[in-house]
Amino acid sequence: MRLACDTGGTFTDLVVEHDGEIRQFKSSTVPVDPVQGVLDVLAIAADDYGLERSAFLGAATTFIHGTTRAINAILTGNTAKTAFLTTAGHPDVLVIREGGRIEPFNFTVPYPEPYVPRRLTFEVAERIDAQGRVVQPLDEDSVLAIIERLKALEVEAVGVCLLWSVVNPEHERRVGQLLAEHLPDLSVTLSHVLNPTLREYRRASATVIDASLKPLMFAYLNGLTERLRASGFNGRTLMVTSGGGIMDAEAVARAPIHAINSGPAMAPVAGRFYADRDFASDVAIVADTGGTSYDVSLVREGRIPWTRETWLGQRFRGHMTGFPSVDVKSIGAGGGSIAWVDSGGLLKVGPNSAGSTPGPVAYGKGGSEPTVTDCALILGHIDADFFLGGAMALDRDAAAAALDEKVAKRLGLPVEEAAAAVIALATEKMVGAIDEITVNQGIDPASAVLVGGGGAAGLNAVAVGRRLGCAGVLIPEAGPVLSAAGALMSELSSDHAQMLFTTSDRFDETGVNGVLAALERRCEAFAAGPGEGAVETVIEFSVEARYPHQIWEIEVPLASRRIEGPDALAALKIAFHDTHKAIFEICDRRSEVEFVTWRAKVRCRLASGEFGRVLDVVNGAEIAAHRPIYIAGSGWVEGRVARFETMAPDEPVAGPAIVESSFSTVVIDPGTVAVKTAGGGLKVTF
Amino acid sequence: MASTTARTGRDAIAMAVLSSRFESVARKMQNTLFRTARSGILNSAHDFSCVILTADCRLLAAAESLPIHTLIGPDLMCAAVKRHHPRPRRGDCFLHNSPYEGNSHPADHCLIVPVVDDEGMLRYFVLAKAHQADCGNARPSTYLADVADVYEEGALIFSATKVQADYQDNEDIIRMCQARIRVPEQWWGDYLAALGSVRIGEAGVLALGREVGWERLDDYAEAWFDYSERRMAAAIRRLPSGRATARAAHDPFPGLPDGIPIKVEVEIDGEAGRISVDLRDNPDCQPCGLNLTEGTAVSAAMVGIFNGIMDHGVPANAGSFRRLDIKVRENCCVGIPRHPASCSVATTNLADRVTNPVQRAIADIAPGFGMAETGPIMPPGIGVISGRDPRRDGEPFVNQVHLAISGGAGTPASDGFLSIIHAGNAGLCRVDGVEVDELHHPLIVASRRLVPDTEGAGAYRGALSIHGEFGPIEGCSMRVLYTMDGAINTAAGAAGGLPGAPPRAEKRERNGELTPLPSCYGLLLEPGERVVSQSAAGGGYGPPRARLPERVLSDVSEGWLSVERAKEVYGVVVTGDGAGDAFAIDAAATAALRAAAAAE
Repeated sequence: MRLACDTGGTFTDLVVEHDGEIRQFKSSTVPVDPVQGVLDVLAIAADDYGLERSAFLGAATTFIHGTTRAINAILTGNTAKTAFLTTAGHPDVLVIREGGRIEPFNFTVPYPEPYVPRRLTFEVAERIDAQGRVVQPLDEDSVLAIIERLKALEVEAVGVCLLWSVVNPEHERRVGQLLAEHLPDLSVTLSHVLNPTLREYRRASATVIDASLKPLMFAYLNGLTERLRASGFNGRTLMVTSGGGIMDAEAVARAPIHAINSGPAMAPVAGRFYADRDFASDVAIVADTGGTSYDVSLVREGRIPWTRETWLGQRFRGHMTGFPSVDVKSIGAGGGSIAWVDSGGLLKVGPNSAGSTPGPVAYGKGGSEPTVTDCALILGHIDADFFLGGAMALDRDAAAAALDEKVAKRLGLPVEEAAAAVIALATEKMVGAIDEITVNQGIDPASAVLVGGGGAAGLNAVAVGRRLGCAGVLIPEAGPVLSAAGALMSELSSDHAQMLFTTSDRFDETGVNGVLAALERRCEAFAAGPGEGAVETVIEFSVEARYPHQIWEIEVPLASRRIEGPDALAALKIAFHDTHKAIFEICDRRSEVEFVTWRAKVRCRLASGEFGRVLDVVNGAEIAAHRPIYIAGSGWVEGRVARFETMAPDEPVAGPAIVESSFSTVVIDPGTVAVKTAGGGLKVTF
Repeated sequence: MASTTARTGRDAIAMAVLSSRFESVARKMQNTLFRTARSGILNSAHDFSCVILTADCRLLAAAESLPIHTLIGPDLMCAAVKRHHPRPRRGDCFLHNSPYEGNSHPADHCLIVPVVDDEGMLRYFVLAKAHQADCGNARPSTYLADVADVYEEGALIFSATKVQADYQDNEDIIRMCQARIRVPEQWWGDYLAALGSVRIGEAGVLALGREVGWERLDDYAEAWFDYSERRMAAAIRRLPSGRATARAAHDPFPGLPDGIPIKVEVEIDGEAGRISVDLRDNPDCQPCGLNLTEGTAVSAAMVGIFNGIMDHGVPANAGSFRRLDIKVRENCCVGIPRHPASCSVATTNLADRVTNPVQRAIADIAPGFGMAETGPIMPPGIGVISGRDPRRDGEPFVNQVHLAISGGAGTPASDGFLSIIHAGNAGLCRVDGVEVDELHHPLIVASRRLVPDTEGAGAYRGALSIHGEFGPIEGCSMRVLYTMDGAINTAAGAAGGLPGAPPRAEKRERNGELTPLPSCYGLLLEPGERVVSQSAAGGGYGPPRARLPERVLSDVSEGWLSVERAKEVYGVVVTGDGAGDAFAIDAAATAALRAAAAAE
């Protein structure tokens, strides 16, 4: 049995795969103690399987976890107090960055603040040159003086990035030793260990971001694994990474920067699978609506969107993580987003969210600010008695009173109209976010299916899809827990790289094959260690190469595990020219080729066979066949209410209607038609 | 009614999609050039532009290209191609860098490809302009200010020269370039990169035309120009009408003992939604390399306007330009150059001396608009380096570095953008990393840091100066050529803001002593010697005493501003010290100080 659990701002989702069958569960996130939310949802699942939680956990082999904890800490400024140690003479690496700007005539956006302020930046007297030679020896006294300052300032974490540490790590390593000796409790990240790449800004940025996350992510992951174990879990705990893969939790605790996009990175993995299976579409806009945020990504030609340069926030305006990642755009709009009226009388939705605590007004847990969910309830789109299959009763009157007081009265509108306006505004924000990854990239959304994931997706997914002119909307069977489902589909993988500079005219065949052999050994060790028991293991070799004087390499796959003999080298050169031509329209066949970094990637597929199917289990309260629902422009109408689990595949439901399941409510707008797919999803066309 | 709205909405979406498609093609062109170029000025500093024009030579899409390269110039150059080659064919590519026919300085080589449809009809142009590491000048720099004319400058000049037909190079021209341009292999690689860029652009536009239909694309282009013009008119209508004359001056340079005084006359017609700038009452072409070209003179004035109107939603294309009237004259140093005047430095120094007073004049006419002056450009920290690389068997190298440059002006809404580089650049070029420059060239960067107390003070302050110090490694003699403006005429403030600090150039001798260097110079550095560069700071916008005390405190905490200057210039009293990480504002003393200053 395998478990995947995704902790969002509002709900903690769990997907259980057992004997080819999928079951999904949700519980409220506990912000002060997110692990408690995990244990809560495990208890709900155990109950469903008729087991004690310890017996249930004892039967599980793996627990895959996604969490927005790292990114939330950065966005809310709750990371550790972090210092930056740099080579003397270069204190402004994080300030000067690499330049670059978007929107030449936009002067309303200020120059970005450094991730670590200058007052917490310290210069280490030392210098190594581009060839790795020591130009100025490390002055250990200067390091000791800095250590005293770190103590006085009560710094909690330190990122060390010295010039050319990737060529000669001697000084950086020694600074690390001194820090460990004198400040043993300090969290430290050394740049050459974390991210051994050229370009000091992006390496330093990765280093300080990682260091700033270490104290809280270590505490969090340590607490998670210990409490899972105490609850009876003897299997393996894995974490979802920003790269859309999975890693052992201990490894993520040592390099928490990889957890920055943990969670959202998995939605496109699942979205791709369902778009292909249920809609036969290879262009999918994957939108994950949580309680707090709306995360969108674009899958094209079946490829997970990937970015080589990851920014926290906008390009050139935020901070560079220094690592590639799955490309997901997030905005603050979700079921828990708060509706309000600003001082100028303008209606706003978000970015503040009621989260899970106190949650929407209707939850009756102390929330007083009206949310998108409250509005859906007011409009009859959500059934007060059938929320989460009836597991949680909602208070419609309280929601209406709050919306009336905070929004409707201020706008001078009836409460229903105000609620419809809130939903419409949330829809526009979501459309804007999708425009940025489609229209603004020159991609017409008309060719795409909108895959709606997350518990609140159904409230306006059809409206968003129609507004964009998409080919259709798909709410897949595991839609409510899309990210967690994606985590179960992902592979364990490990990337290994080693720099060895050589050129095609003076090719170092022995050296290169030595590097390839070493990389292969590391991959095999990974396959035998973390990858043990995988049903399939694949090792792929590639090289990053360029023409002389170019500085950006392209990746060329190797046809075999070694480069032996002139024919193999000639073939590699041709492969480079061809790849260059394919990407850039030109190549320079007369030119020699420079080979820089050799790579091997090992992928271990842990689960066998097809991804499981969700079992339709009808539980919870009976629902009425019709109820009044409010449609913007039409007012109250008697809408059909269909229970998703009992819908037959050949029985279309025409809007206005509501399709309800234990986990979600999908609003079928007038003029649109919903059918259940063979794969157990809901497909809406218009 | 409902269906009309839906139709309009659908059209608006189609226009948005198509404009993004064109922008996306231009971005792909840029990406290709950036990723495949061989010289640092292109593959690190990003000093190039890629644009798409209509068949009648109107600028349609420019992605994020340098404004001084692209607002006006590409249109003039495509017109030159049509003049010299009235029936361009598919597979043609033209090399053009003539400053007398629309280009900027001759170091900016342009490749221009006509996009010809399957019926042989010219539909669009794609153009890539890339700053070369070397362009065959008499001395190893792409910016020669102290030359009497184009003959002394020595640049190879190409006028709509057909470098490719049927997608095949004219090898004669390639050999000409390789025979004359220093580092011929690097030039060849950069040529290929630019060629890849225009061919990718051509393929993208052809695909778009086949998919959407050429007529529909034309309709879109007209709709997009009309929309852009409406946006510009609406933006200008937010400003009051008025006229202002503003003056600026380039520093004295060799052969120009009095420098070059510049006068701009700006007129805003708020009711009509139009702005005009008259540059005609300025000196004739000068016997130096600073003269502007028609493209850079007009673009420079337009940059000042786009900066000043504070509405970045206005697309910069031939549609919005209809609302602007920039008057230039023939044989003027900030107008249309007359052969053989040299325009070797036409994109930077004097161009900024046009942009800056325009944005200042707008601030004079319309409070809350306009901008202060950007720091003048070209200290050694952005100089052209050359020599022989001992790490590569003495192979020659020439390249401009973007190591230590800042300059952003204070604006009505933000402090000066640190890495703006210069006004016409708008910060779109990159700044070199230390490791990349040290890998690429035989040099070592001893230090690079911001210099405190250099900002042009203001309610929104200018960017600080950046100090950079570098020199050759063992076994290398390195030449550094630069053309530094601003040592005398610093970046002025606007709306009560103060000027930024001047730039500085010095040589660090082997014994550590500093020797001051002239403003326009080429120095030879031996191992152990270094050049010390300090960039000009940007001017401030608005009175310094109106600056939010929290912003002053932040600058003090970060070490950008001294406690003394905070008090004297900004009227903010800061207590505490950096040792305890605890600076604070003395609110009462600050209020008293500011009140006393206001009463004066």
